[in-house]
Amino acid sequence: MTILQHSNAAAFARGVGAGKPPLGRLSTLARHGGPFAVYAVFALLIGLPLALVLVQTVMPGLFAAQDASNSLSLEPLARVFNSPYVAGSVLHSLELGMLVACTTTALGGAFAVLVQRCDIPGRTAISMVPWLVFLTPSYLKALAWVLLMSSGGYLAQFGLLPASLGSAFFGLTGLVFVHTLSLFPLAAFIIGSALAGLGSELEDAARLSGAAPLRIWLRINGPLLAPAIALSFIATFAEVLSDFGLASTIARMSNFGVLTYGIYAAASDYPVDFPAAGAQALVLLSLVLLVVVADRLLRRRADPRLISGRARPARLYDLGKWRWLAMAATLAIAFLALALPLAAIAARALTQTLGHGLVWSNFTAASMVAALSLNTAANDGLLRSLFYAGLTALIASSLALLLSAQLDRAGPVLRSAVIGLSLGSVAIPGIVLGFGYILVWNRLPGFRDWPFPHYGDGSLLVMGYVAAALPYCLVVILSAIGQLAPGLTDAARLHGVGATRRLLAITLPLILLSVVTAFLLTFIRTVFELPISQMLIPRSGPPAPTLILKLFSHDRDGLASAIALVAMAAAGMGAALVWYPLRRFVRPRRSAALVDAGHHQTVGVEPLS
Amino acid sequence: MNVRTSFYLAIGLSALAMAAPASASDLVLYDALDFAGPVAKAFQAKTGLTVDVVEPGSTGETLGKIAAEGSNPQFDIVWVDGSAVMERMAADHVLQAIPAAAYDKVAFTDLGKSLIPQSHAFLPTGTSTTAIEVNTKKVPAGKMPKSWADLQSFAGGVAAKDPNLSGPAYQWLAGFFQTNGLDAGKALLAKTLTNKSLSGLSSGGKVNKAVLTGDASVGINQDSAIFSKIAAGEPVVAVYPSEGSVSLPQGLGISAKTQHMDAARKFIDFVTSAEGQAAMQNGDDTDFFYIPIIKGINAKPGRETNITYTHLDDAVASAHETEWKQWYKASFVQ
Repeated sequence: MTILQHSNAAAFARGVGAGKPPLGRLSTLARHGGPFAVYAVFALLIGLPLALVLVQTVMPGLFAAQDASNSLSLEPLARVFNSPYVAGSVLHSLELGMLVACTTTALGGAFAVLVQRCDIPGRTAISMVPWLVFLTPSYLKALAWVLLMSSGGYLAQFGLLPASLGSAFFGLTGLVFVHTLSLFPLAAFIIGSALAGLGSELEDAARLSGAAPLRIWLRINGPLLAPAIALSFIATFAEVLSDFGLASTIARMSNFGVLTYGIYAAASDYPVDFPAAGAQALVLLSLVLLVVVADRLLRRRADPRLISGRARPARLYDLGKWRWLAMAATLAIAFLALALPLAAIAARALTQTLGHGLVWSNFTAASMVAALSLNTAANDGLLRSLFYAGLTALIASSLALLLSAQLDRAGPVLRSAVIGLSLGSVAIPGIVLGFGYILVWNRLPGFRDWPFPHYGDGSLLVMGYVAAALPYCLVVILSAIGQLAPGLTDAARLHGVGATRRLLAITLPLILLSVVTAFLLTFIRTVFELPISQMLIPRSGPPAPTLILKLFSHDRDGLASAIALVAMAAAGMGAALVWYPLRRFVRPRRSAALVDAGHHQTVGVEPLS
Repeated sequence: MNVRTSFYLAIGLSALAMAAPASASDLVLYDALDFAGPVAKAFQAKTGLTVDVVEPGSTGETLGKIAAEGSNPQFDIVWVDGSAVMERMAADHVLQAIPAAAYDKVAFTDLGKSLIPQSHAFLPTGTSTTAIEVNTKKVPAGKMPKSWADLQSFAGGVAAKDPNLSGPAYQWLAGFFQTNGLDAGKALLAKTLTNKSLSGLSSGGKVNKAVLTGDASVGINQDSAIFSKIAAGEPVVAVYPSEGSVSLPQGLGISAKTQHMDAARKFIDFVTSAEGQAAMQNGDDTDFFYIPIIKGINAKPGRETNITYTHLDDAVASAHETEWKQWYKASFVQ
C-alpha cells in the first residue's frame, strides 16, 4: 500500500516550483485542474453509478416503476441487517476473504521469489504460468473444478477422488483452494514488481557486511517489500469479496452464502429488490474500506523511492540441488492452477455429454468446429469482445497514465483518497456497477439524452469496462511512477521541458513496461468480464462472456467450453504479440545490464518476466 | 512534437471508433429463450424488418435489466418463460395489453386457449411443464418415482430450483401446494429437500448438471430441459408425477412505450405462423422442446405431449407469491 505514497521534500518542491510556462492544454489542466480532473473522472465513472445504487437503501422508492418517491426510509437497512442470512453471508465473506488473502499472498510471494530470484531450471517457461492462470476467468476455473470434483465428475470417474475429499471440497476448504490457485498471480505480480524495483544494491551491501541470506530477507528485503505485501493482501481481499464466479458455483453448491451472491439474487427478478441489493453492496464496500483505512492508520511511514534509473538487476540465488525441489513446487502449482482445470475444460469441449464421461465413443469435435467457424454467433461474439477489450485497455491505461502523472505531483491526501477509492472500487461487484450505469444512463434526465456514450450502444459498455479496469491500471502505474526518483523529471523541468513532454519523453519510457502491463491486464480481464457485459450488453450483439455464460446456463457447456478455450487462446496470443517484441525492445538482457548498469534502465513493473 | 501528436491521434481514433453510431433497427427484442435468435433471423429474412436480439442471460437477469430500465424501457418486445411476471410488468405499466385482434388471428388449441390471460398481459407462444428428472445410472428402473410424494425416498439427493430466482420454479411450487394442500405440501417438501446445497439452484441448467454429475439422483426440472438432454444422449428420463402438472407458458409481451407497434404486430403474426413455429423448433437446446399450442403444429420428435395438466389458480398463486417464496428461501436456500 504505502509503496504508493511519498511525502518527501523533493516532491513538495516539485509541486510548488515554478517552471517555464507550460505548453498545451494538458499542461494547463495539470496546473489548475489536476485534482479536479481526477475527482471528476472517478465521480463520473464510478461514484455516480455507485451512489445511485446505494442511495436506494435509504430511498427505496426512488426508482420504483410506479409512484417513484424520494421519501427517506430505514426499513430496507433494518430488513437486511435483521436477516440471519445476510449476517451469515457477511461472516462468510469476511472469513473467506481473510483466509484467501493470507494464503494467496504467501503463495504468490513465494512464487515470485522463486521465479525471480532463484536459479530454478526452466525459469522463463515457469514465469509464464501466472499470466496463463490470469488469462482464465474465475467462472471457468470454478466450472472446471466442479467438473473435476463432483461425485460423478472426471476425477471420480478415474477413481482418483476419495468420497470424503469430494464432499469436503464443496465448502470453505474448496473455496480457499480454488481462490488461492486462481488469485496467486495477482500477489505474484504485485510482489514481483516490487522485487524487480528493489534491485540488489542494498542486499549486496548487507552481504558484504556479513549478513546471512535469512537475515537479509528478514531485516532488509522483508521491510522494503512490506508495502507490496500489504497491497497484495488488500487487493486479494477485495477480489475475493467482489468475486462472483466462485460465489455462484462452488459457494452456491456448498450452501456457503456470500455477499455477491446475495446481491445477484436480489437483483435478478422483476421488480428488482434494489434496497436489498444496495444495502448488501454497502456492507461489502464498508468491509473493504475498513481494511484500507486500517492499513493507512497502521503504517504511516513515508516510502522508499528506489528506482533511480541505476538499479541493477538482482543476482540469482544458487539453490544447489534444492533447485529441483523448487522447480517441482512451481510445477505442482502450475499443474493445479492451470493444467488440470484447462484439461477439464478441454475434455468437456471435446465430449458430447457430461454423464457418459471420458469414453472414446463420447468424444466429438463438433463444439470446437462450431467455435472456430466464421460467421457464427460464437465467432462474432469473440471478435466483438477482442475489439472492445483492446479499446478498453487503450483508454484505461492512457487515462491511468495521465491521472498518475497528476497524482504524483498532488499532495498525500489526494493520493491516499485515490488509492482508497481504487481499491474500494476493485471490490465493487460488476453487477452493482452495471446496474448503476443503467440507472445513470437510462433513467437520469440529461444523461439519458446524451448521444455518446449511450445506453444500448457499445460506447457505454466500453465506458463500463474502463470504469472496472481503471482502478487496476492506476494501482499498477502509480506504483511504478511512485518508484521513480524525482530528480529525473525535476532535471527536465529545470531545463524548461513542458509537462506533456516530460510525461511522454521521460516518465513514459521509464515506466513503459508498467503501462504495457496495465494495458495487457486490462485487455485480458475485459475479454472475459462478465457482469458488466451482461448488464450493458449492446444491441448490436453480445460480447463473448455473455455468450459463454448463456450457453452454460442453457446447459450447453460443451460449446461454452469450446468458445472459452478459443477466447483464451486468442487473448493469450494477442497479449504475447504485444508483450514479447516490446520486452525485447525495451529491456536489456541481464548480461548487458551488468556490463554497464549506469546506462541501461531496468525499471517498472516486470511481472515475473 | 511527434510523440504528442501521435498520442492524441491514438486517443482521438479510438474515440471515433467508439462513436460509430448504432444502427436503428425496426424492433428490439429482450428474451431468455433459446429459439429467439433463430426466430428473429427467419422473421428478418421473410419481412425485411431488422430485429436486435438482446439476451443478457437467464430469465432473472433479463428481468433485472428490464426492472433497472424502469420507466424508460428500451425494448419493444419481451419474450420469456412464466406468466406471473408478465402480469406484474403489465400491472406496473411496463407492458401494454396485447390487442384482442392478435389473439383472434391465431388457431389456438384448447390448451393454448386456457393459457390466454384475462388481462391480455402477454400472448402465449408455447408451453412446457415441470417433471421429475431421473438419472438412470443412479436410479434402477424398478425404483423410479411416480409422484411428488415418492421423492421423499430420495431425500438429500433431490435437486431443485429456487423459486426466488426462477419463474417456472415458482409456478411449480404454487401448483404443488394446490395439488398437495398447503400444510401437507410444506411438510412433504421439508422431508424431501433436506440438502440445501441442492435445493436452491438458480437455473434448469444447474439442476441438469447436478443430476448428470451424480450430485443428485433426481431433480425437479422444466421438462423441455430434460428432453433436450435426452436428445443429446445423456442418461436421464422425464417422469410426470401422478398428481398432474401445471403448465409454464412462454409469454410474449409488448412494451408500453414501443414506437414500433406495427413491427411488433408483424412479429406476433410471424411467431404464431407455421414458419415461425418451425423456426422455434430449429435447434437442440432446452426451449426448442416446447409444447406447441397452435393447431396443426407438432412438437419435436421425442418430446412427450400426452400430459395430465392441472390448471393453476393464478389469483391464489400471485396473492401468496411473496410469502411462499420467502418460506422456500428460509426453509431450503439459506
